[in-house]
Amino acid sequence: MRFPLPKFGLALVALAVPSGVVVGAETRTGEQIYKQMCARCHGVKGEGTKKYELPLTGDRSLAQLAGVIDRTMPEGDPEALDAEGSKRVAAYMYDAFYSPDAQARLNPPRVELSRLTVKQYRNSVADLIGSFRFAPKADGKPGLRGEYFNSRNFQNNKRQIDRIDTEVRFDFGKEPPKAVPEPKEKFDPHQFCIRWDGSVLAEETGVHEFVVRTDHALRLWVNDNRKPVIDAWVKSGTDTEFKASVFLLAGRAYPIRLEFSKAKQGVDDSKKNPNPPVKPAFVSLNWKRPSHAIEVIPARNLTPQRFPEVAVIETPFPPDDRSLGWERGSTVSKEWDAATTEAAFETASYVLARLPELSGAQPGAGDRTAKLKAFCKTFAERAFRRPLTDSEKALFVDRQFEAAGDAELAVKRVVLLVLKSPRFLYPDAGGTPEQNATATRLAFALWDAPPDKELIDAATAGKLGTRADVAKQAERMLADPRARAKVREFLLTWMKLDQPKDLSKDAKRFPGFDADVASDLRTSLELFLDDVFWSEKSDFRQLFLADETFLNGRLSKFYGVDLPAEAPFKKVKFEADKRGGVLTHPYTLASLAYVAETSPIHRGVFVGRGLLGIGIKPPQEAFTPFAPDLHPNLTTRERVSLQTKPAACSACHNVMNPLGFALENFDAVGRFRAKERDKPVDATGSYETRAGTVAKFTGAKELAKFLASSEETQYAFAQQAFHHYAKQPVRAYGLKKPDELRKTFAESGFNMRKLIVEIAVTAAAKPKLPN
Amino acid sequence: MQLSRTRREFVRDLGISAAAVPFLLNLPGLGFANQAKRKQRIVFVFSPNGIVPKDFWPETEGELTKLKAILEPLEPFKKQTLTLGGISDRIRGDGDGHMRGIGCLLTGIELFPGNIQGGSDTPAGWAKGISIDQEIKNVLQKDPATKTRFGSLELGVMVPERADTWTRWSYAAANKPITPVDDPYQLFNKLYGRAKDNEALASVLDAVKDDLKKVGSSVGAADKKLLEEHAAFVRDMEKELKEQKTASTAGHAVPKLEPGMKRVNENMPQISKTQIDLLVNSFTADFARVATYQITNSVGQARMKWLGVEEGHHDLSHEPDSNEKAQEKLVKINRWYCEQVAYLAKRLADTPEPGGTGSLLDNTLIVWTNELGKGNSHTHDNTPFILVGGGLNYKMGRALKYKNVSHNRLLMALAHGFGHHVKSFGNPDYCKDGVLTGLV
Repeated sequence: MRFPLPKFGLALVALAVPSGVVVGAETRTGEQIYKQMCARCHGVKGEGTKKYELPLTGDRSLAQLAGVIDRTMPEGDPEALDAEGSKRVAAYMYDAFYSPDAQARLNPPRVELSRLTVKQYRNSVADLIGSFRFAPKADGKPGLRGEYFNSRNFQNNKRQIDRIDTEVRFDFGKEPPKAVPEPKEKFDPHQFCIRWDGSVLAEETGVHEFVVRTDHALRLWVNDNRKPVIDAWVKSGTDTEFKASVFLLAGRAYPIRLEFSKAKQGVDDSKKNPNPPVKPAFVSLNWKRPSHAIEVIPARNLTPQRFPEVAVIETPFPPDDRSLGWERGSTVSKEWDAATTEAAFETASYVLARLPELSGAQPGAGDRTAKLKAFCKTFAERAFRRPLTDSEKALFVDRQFEAAGDAELAVKRVVLLVLKSPRFLYPDAGGTPEQNATATRLAFALWDAPPDKELIDAATAGKLGTRADVAKQAERMLADPRARAKVREFLLTWMKLDQPKDLSKDAKRFPGFDADVASDLRTSLELFLDDVFWSEKSDFRQLFLADETFLNGRLSKFYGVDLPAEAPFKKVKFEADKRGGVLTHPYTLASLAYVAETSPIHRGVFVGRGLLGIGIKPPQEAFTPFAPDLHPNLTTRERVSLQTKPAACSACHNVMNPLGFALENFDAVGRFRAKERDKPVDATGSYETRAGTVAKFTGAKELAKFLASSEETQYAFAQQAFHHYAKQPVRAYGLKKPDELRKTFAESGFNMRKLIVEIAVTAAAKPKLPN
Repeated sequence: MQLSRTRREFVRDLGISAAAVPFLLNLPGLGFANQAKRKQRIVFVFSPNGIVPKDFWPETEGELTKLKAILEPLEPFKKQTLTLGGISDRIRGDGDGHMRGIGCLLTGIELFPGNIQGGSDTPAGWAKGISIDQEIKNVLQKDPATKTRFGSLELGVMVPERADTWTRWSYAAANKPITPVDDPYQLFNKLYGRAKDNEALASVLDAVKDDLKKVGSSVGAADKKLLEEHAAFVRDMEKELKEQKTASTAGHAVPKLEPGMKRVNENMPQISKTQIDLLVNSFTADFARVATYQITNSVGQARMKWLGVEEGHHDLSHEPDSNEKAQEKLVKINRWYCEQVAYLAKRLADTPEPGGTGSLLDNTLIVWTNELGKGNSHTHDNTPFILVGGGLNYKMGRALKYKNVSHNRLLMALAHGFGHHVKSFGNPDYCKDGVLTGLV
């Protein structure tokens, strides 16, 4: 595994003293000091100059800023400015341009018109087309329906077993399938066939690889009931693994059906050749999620309920802007425009291929054109998330039917026109009745998907007028799988783990730590995040404090916990005296480490930048970490301290290293260690808070306790949540909004579900026009 | 009109990312990098259940003089025809005679053991290797000088909706049979769907531009900028669409397809003709240089009522030689297959080679073959191979008789004809005597 070289440096390194300035007892104002001593390098408004390009903006507290200036500025001659002068100039800078509030005053953030993000686009088409299909209510039962037939084919009168199988993993050997009570008719071990049927629930968006392992014939359908994604009904050769890739969207259930046959096809020669030797048989249904290894599809992702197909648009889009740390749709490009065209074609083709099903218009029927027109009008209304005006109906529907002549061509034109229209592509484009706009903003905030029928109905009935109305809808919508998917996505983003990590480790140092263990670890962390968020109190602090970990058989074996080898995931107390929450989860620790050694710097940056929300700028040059072999007598802590000792490094490393050091009791695969290189581990650490106090902690549990109660962690979490959900700058909703959010969060007992509802309700309100 | 092909499949078949090359696709060929050299093409035509040897094979070797009843439709192309007697499909192994007949015909290699049980012999699966059409296609696609949009087209006429050893003859690789397209509308969509899509798109872009303007007037100044940027991209696209239309009509026009053709036995003649027309169009537009054309399937049961034959072809093919009525009908049926080959030859001969000399037929070789030498014996000896056209510079207008040589040697010769000098093709045991000689 390769980690990028550490990239931390110093923001405030390069002050220069204008020559000839004589310093005495400080009488100047902060502004005067700045102009005389700082502006030459940093620019009059802190915007930077050629000498030092980075603008002087950041999120340290005033006290911290004054401290840094006093210790380091002017560059090369910090004695030239005393503590009082540093305080004054810091105060001036802080209010004039340094602090986030100052920046917000200088460049007032606003709610920007945004196009659908890529996720929102795909969800919009899926829900738009899904709205013409039956939508069953999920009953939450796990597993698949399994029907077992004592025949070559799926003959209904030969069905001997009809049951729910929690997962598909069977090794029949030379025996027929077994059931309790025993089936009426004894199975012929030579030939039987089985059909598993139901739906599969995707938790992530992306390419899912379905893998069926069997030594006999099979067919697999996923999200397409007509055409199998794997057709190996002809058994040919000795292959026993069959794969197909299917693009799925998170938070949705897709129909799945697996047919297995232990029988010959073609001519029936069983009479001619009555007693051939019995062959063994096995079959398992597996998948590879985008950020996991191949695994048997677990029961929690399966349901015997049959959900309708989902229109998943696969057209590749250019990725959304993430320059501010969250995805947003504030830019357009030629590639994006071309992708919307391709996606519109793909959708049109999908619709035309299923026109009778979606529109109810049957080929050759007398009312076909009328029904297609009605379908097109509804299609446009649902795409625009509001009713059409008469003139819009004339443009988007009637005129297309007149011009095209052929009804199918007209449908194609309507789909293209509607999906290329800014009214579809920009959810908050003008002309939308206010409550429909509220519904739209609310749904995209909570789901990254358009409003459902219930929400639209509420808007149409005028029942989205008050904050309480909106909050009530938000609470209802939070139970939807689309909301669950977005929660998972946000928590992983907060953990900086939204992109899959390569967790390859040194096989000699850590035998047994393979891709399967790494994949299970990620699952374990995902289950933990879900568990805390969806628990009764949804208490944010439990993300740090909960002392139970999800382990299965494979993980418990590697981490030395006593569970049966095949055990599914369950919550266990795993070194509860040493561990707590996400911080000490082995996946977190292993992902913030090198192949063999830990990386206190990466861990410190994660805690500092990610959890505490402090800005740490990358270094201006890249460094290679000191090789452990060249310093055989140093612990990791000692080696890191040695390398980051120079003044140019220490200003930032003094912040992040002590945060990372507190996790040194856990090695590169997240196992506890009391010693490193035969020396006891020093896990003491500290953090200077923005309030000016110094927090000290020894070991992970104490650090976790500090983080759980830190206002900075809470503030950062709430702010990141806002940006992830609303996809707009939080200060556009008021300069005090971040503080208000933290306060509301605290008052709710740090209830994360309530926080998300609060954010969604805020985002759903009509944006204020810039003054 | 039934469009059984989804856009997804369409995009996947192009083998390129959907966003990357949307506008190249209705151009004739991918640019014109491949126009310098003489174009060579090959079409493999399959018909099932063996032939009636006495009414098929020319009496004498040497110059083709009189063609027998079944081959008679090729009379106008006698000088461009070469009949190859004495070539045998000698592949053995799993599978019944029909399965091996179709499955080993273009692959020259055995079938895998599997679960498809025939009327006799052991059960089998798919062929163990690539077929010669795909081998040649891969060679042509690797070279920018011969690369085309599709490389190859796999067509069919009335192929059953069933994927098994009896219904596939073209293989991308071992265990990778290719499904032939037997629905003319599906084929049309594959060839021209993009052009039709672009027409529909062009027709709505004015409305999209108006809409952007309207919406732009209802938002603030800063947001309006974003919409104006967006509108500029729409205008660009409109311009590009216009330019492409000019470029594409310079090649050849998009053909019109008669609507409402149903995929039923009675429509076989019409479907076959339409498929051949689309194939010839594809060659004109240089969409592909290799094609397979599979009429029904192994054990095919076409009922040629339009010829007065009520029985299914396969059932008839089992009748003994002594059943003269049945043999007469079999001659009629096989003659009809030959008419399809002749129609293809005629269309190719009538079409001038774009940017080259002569006709398409001068640069195309048709290889008409069959799964069996004779239906009622299920023999693979004397497997029919009738060659038409000048694509590989063979000396045409002759009847050749080999002495029971393995058909792998012919498959090798076809590869060599495209400058692909393989040392063996399929099972090397049957290639030891080298490339089939006497063709040039």
